[in-house]
Amino acid sequence: MPEREWKKGSAELLILSLIEHEARHGYELGKLIESRSKGVLRFHVASLYPLLYRLEKRGWIEGRWVEKAGQRRRRYYRLTADGKKVLAAQRKTWTAFAQAINRIAGVQHA
Amino acid sequence: MPEWREELRRRLAALHLAPAEEAGIVEELAQHLEDRFRELVSQGLGADEARRIALEELSERELFEGFSEVLAPARPAAAPPGVGGGRAGWVGHFLKDLRFGLRMLRTRPGFAAVAILTLALGIGANTAIFSTVNGVLLKPLPYPESDQLVTFWGTAPEKRLPVVDYPEAMFLSFHARTRVFESVAAYAVAGVSLSGDGDPERIQAAGVSTDFFRVLRQVPVAGRTFLAEEGTAGKNNVAVLSHALWQRRFGGDRGLVGKSIQVGDRPTVVVGIMPPGFDFPQRAELWFPLLLEADDTGNWYLSTVARLKPGQTVADAHREVVAMSDEFFLSRPDRFPDAKPGSRAVVMPVLRSLVGDARTPLLVLLGAVGFVLLIASANIGNLLLARALARGREMALRCCLGASSGRLAAQLLTESLLLAVLGGAAGLLFGWLGIRVIQGLQVGPVPRLAEVRLDPAALLFTLGVTLAAGVLFGVAPAIRASRLDPLEGLREGGRGGTSRGARGLSHGFVVAQIALSLILLVGAGLLLRSFQRTLKVDPGFRPENVLTARIQLPWPKYGNDTVVRVFQSRLLEAVRSLPGVHQTGLANRIPFSRGNPQQELYVEGQIPRPGESVPVINNRSVSPGYFEAMGTPILRGRGILGSDVAGAPPVVVIDETVALQYWPGGDPLGKRIRTTSDSSTAWLTVVGVAPNVKHASLRERPNFEMYRSLSQSPAWSTYLVVRSGGDPQSLVAELRRRVAELDPTLPVSEVHTMVGAMAESLSVARLTNTLLTGFAGLAMLLAVIGIYGVMSLNVNGRQGEFGVRLALGAAPRDVLRLVMRQGLLLAFLGLAIGVAGALWLTRLLGSLLFEVSPMDPVTFLSVGAILALAAALACYVPARRATLADPMSALRRE
Repeated sequence: MPEREWKKGSAELLILSLIEHEARHGYELGKLIESRSKGVLRFHVASLYPLLYRLEKRGWIEGRWVEKAGQRRRRYYRLTADGKKVLAAQRKTWTAFAQAINRIAGVQHA
Repeated sequence: MPEWREELRRRLAALHLAPAEEAGIVEELAQHLEDRFRELVSQGLGADEARRIALEELSERELFEGFSEVLAPARPAAAPPGVGGGRAGWVGHFLKDLRFGLRMLRTRPGFAAVAILTLALGIGANTAIFSTVNGVLLKPLPYPESDQLVTFWGTAPEKRLPVVDYPEAMFLSFHARTRVFESVAAYAVAGVSLSGDGDPERIQAAGVSTDFFRVLRQVPVAGRTFLAEEGTAGKNNVAVLSHALWQRRFGGDRGLVGKSIQVGDRPTVVVGIMPPGFDFPQRAELWFPLLLEADDTGNWYLSTVARLKPGQTVADAHREVVAMSDEFFLSRPDRFPDAKPGSRAVVMPVLRSLVGDARTPLLVLLGAVGFVLLIASANIGNLLLARALARGREMALRCCLGASSGRLAAQLLTESLLLAVLGGAAGLLFGWLGIRVIQGLQVGPVPRLAEVRLDPAALLFTLGVTLAAGVLFGVAPAIRASRLDPLEGLREGGRGGTSRGARGLSHGFVVAQIALSLILLVGAGLLLRSFQRTLKVDPGFRPENVLTARIQLPWPKYGNDTVVRVFQSRLLEAVRSLPGVHQTGLANRIPFSRGNPQQELYVEGQIPRPGESVPVINNRSVSPGYFEAMGTPILRGRGILGSDVAGAPPVVVIDETVALQYWPGGDPLGKRIRTTSDSSTAWLTVVGVAPNVKHASLRERPNFEMYRSLSQSPAWSTYLVVRSGGDPQSLVAELRRRVAELDPTLPVSEVHTMVGAMAESLSVARLTNTLLTGFAGLAMLLAVIGIYGVMSLNVNGRQGEFGVRLALGAAPRDVLRLVMRQGLLLAFLGLAIGVAGALWLTRLLGSLLFEVSPMDPVTFLSVGAILALAAALACYVPARRATLADPMSALRRE
């Protein structure tokens, strides 16, 4: 059942891509997902962090407490080398999948 | 800041994390919550509101589920050690689900209480009634191969005689000729007096044909049963005792067998003791052999019990009894000149005949309680469905986060099963209490009721129902959850909306509940109205303040009519002089006592033509003062007077039913009747007319009844009737003392108040009414909870819509009307279906109704109105809430 698989994977893909170039903390990630999806996707605290911890446990991301000047101490997540590979693979799968959908359903790109 | 940490630690506690790990998570999540809180405040929300929303997003359940899949608990999980790979996972998941389910119930005590209570009430009522029905109707009699035992009797509906017992000659003819029965026995119930050692005592006994115990396959625990020759004169002074009597009166004396005891005035040898518990028929404690005469066709008093040969059926037996009866009558033209073929008889399994009148009410109750369980089930279904919808967003998210649909379904199923098991356990308790209540309501003549226990079959039944309910109620939401599209769930769930399919299902539940409760309410209403009608029936006497007692004069001490008359007049004098006694009298039979001697009625000048059936009349012998003591007014003429003695012209008082039948519009006084076609017997002159008196039941049709003078028509066994100024029970001790002064060996038995005896005759009806009314009330309550729940859910899901409507200028009244219309539409749909169902089903109540039609419009209308009103109230509360929707918050959400 590829459909369920990509749904499962989609949340992971979102997180991995958001920290690809920049380490971010959890709250920031939640806000970004909500704003970039125009409110369609929302992660609350209770769902977001277990996901982050799972990705960290798999070794795809790494969290670290950072204290920036003038700000409170926060835990920032960044992509690991493994995470980069996973992201690339997932992206490829996703693109292939999206193209397949487009070819069949003729969905227009926004 | 500190408050977030505290709250987080509380919510994470169930994970049992290592302290360092937990501290990290608490720190990180507290940061998040603080950020979220500040963001909300910056949007213009108050601090309290912002804090509430932030914490709302911290779903305890999601936290637990999410983290428990990622992080290992510091303490090992509760999976039993040594359980291998795959199973460990399964058990672990199950335990986790179970633990989680318990926590869910604890965090929502209202939901849990309603669900468990609903289930418990439904299951409890079912267990109680199922146990009762099983104990009374279904459980076999405690005799070997009791399913082969039948009883049969003649019937003559055209003479208003539903039960005609057999004369000795007829029984002996059956006994000799039968091919269908392995054996046939006869019995007649009688009271006997025990004297000798200890106080005189009146006990229930039965005269039986000598093979009675062989038919029932009962073996004595000591001694033997009767020999064939003990059914002949001179050898019949023997008796078999019940185990209970043996223990109670003779202290279980092993040497009693072979000894002589005093039964009535006769020394009688005890030949055997029956096993404990055997008391057929009618709680007999002593059995003696009947002397049966092959030419006795005059006394119709024998009951039968017979054992079918293997392979023979009740229908076979019926054919044979009819054929044997025809042959008996047609072969005796001298005795039965107007006999025709086509005798009527009833053959019935003994069990069914014992249960008798209680059968229909119990089956009705079983049906009713099934309805209650259905309604309760629909309620649970609705509750769980509502829960599943409210948690749609949570489910969608968890699906999104990688939980498989199987895991979600398993979780929901576990929760439902947990509810079902808790509800089932509470239901079992309710059932046990219910049986106590049923037995406590009435210890009257519901056969075998006292022996009813919460039996294993009921336990299994309940367990089955519970598990089925759990799986059933769990499956619907679980299937829904597994089909959930996470994106849609997120979008829709965010607003707490409900999908069309789920709404349809819950609406269906509500309609079904209303329909089922209407049917129950109509049934209960019809029975209640019947009961009211019954209580309004004029019994033909005034039962208040009346005490009755049976006094049987033993033979040969009271061997002739003169001795009996002298004793009876002295007894009346002695009782009349008691302080507090207003009036007293004697009669050979009184209303609501056992037995009903009947005779044929011949009216002078109106002799029936040959072939025409002769009417039957209830025959009573009463002393002067009886009518006054009983409170039966004499409508015309006079009652029985002290001057109506043995040598005086024979007189009779008839009841108005006879008067109307034979002298409509005319004067019956001075007319003459007799009870035999034999022209040598004297005519009885009618001197008075009494009202019709109910004999066995307030619901019976009027019978013909006549009263002769006790002096002119003596009886050894009489009932003393005492009317007092106050509580008749207070007279009992003094009454016994007066009787003992006259004759210390005389037992006084069947001491009742008339009010008590009448109430006992209504016991089955009262039991049925009470329970059915209770069930109907319960059903209505559940249905109202159901419609309230569904309307609340609808309203909550549409708060946004209502807010917008109000913002766009709709008056609160319009919103109210909108919601009410939807709720009432469901209610009326349910009512319509319920009315149709009730019209179809109340026919089954037929025999339980009295002077009320199964389609009684008053009942249907009032019950419908009550239910509609209750439903309207249940809709009104959520509808009010809809009008309070806040337009601003609705707009903000949009």
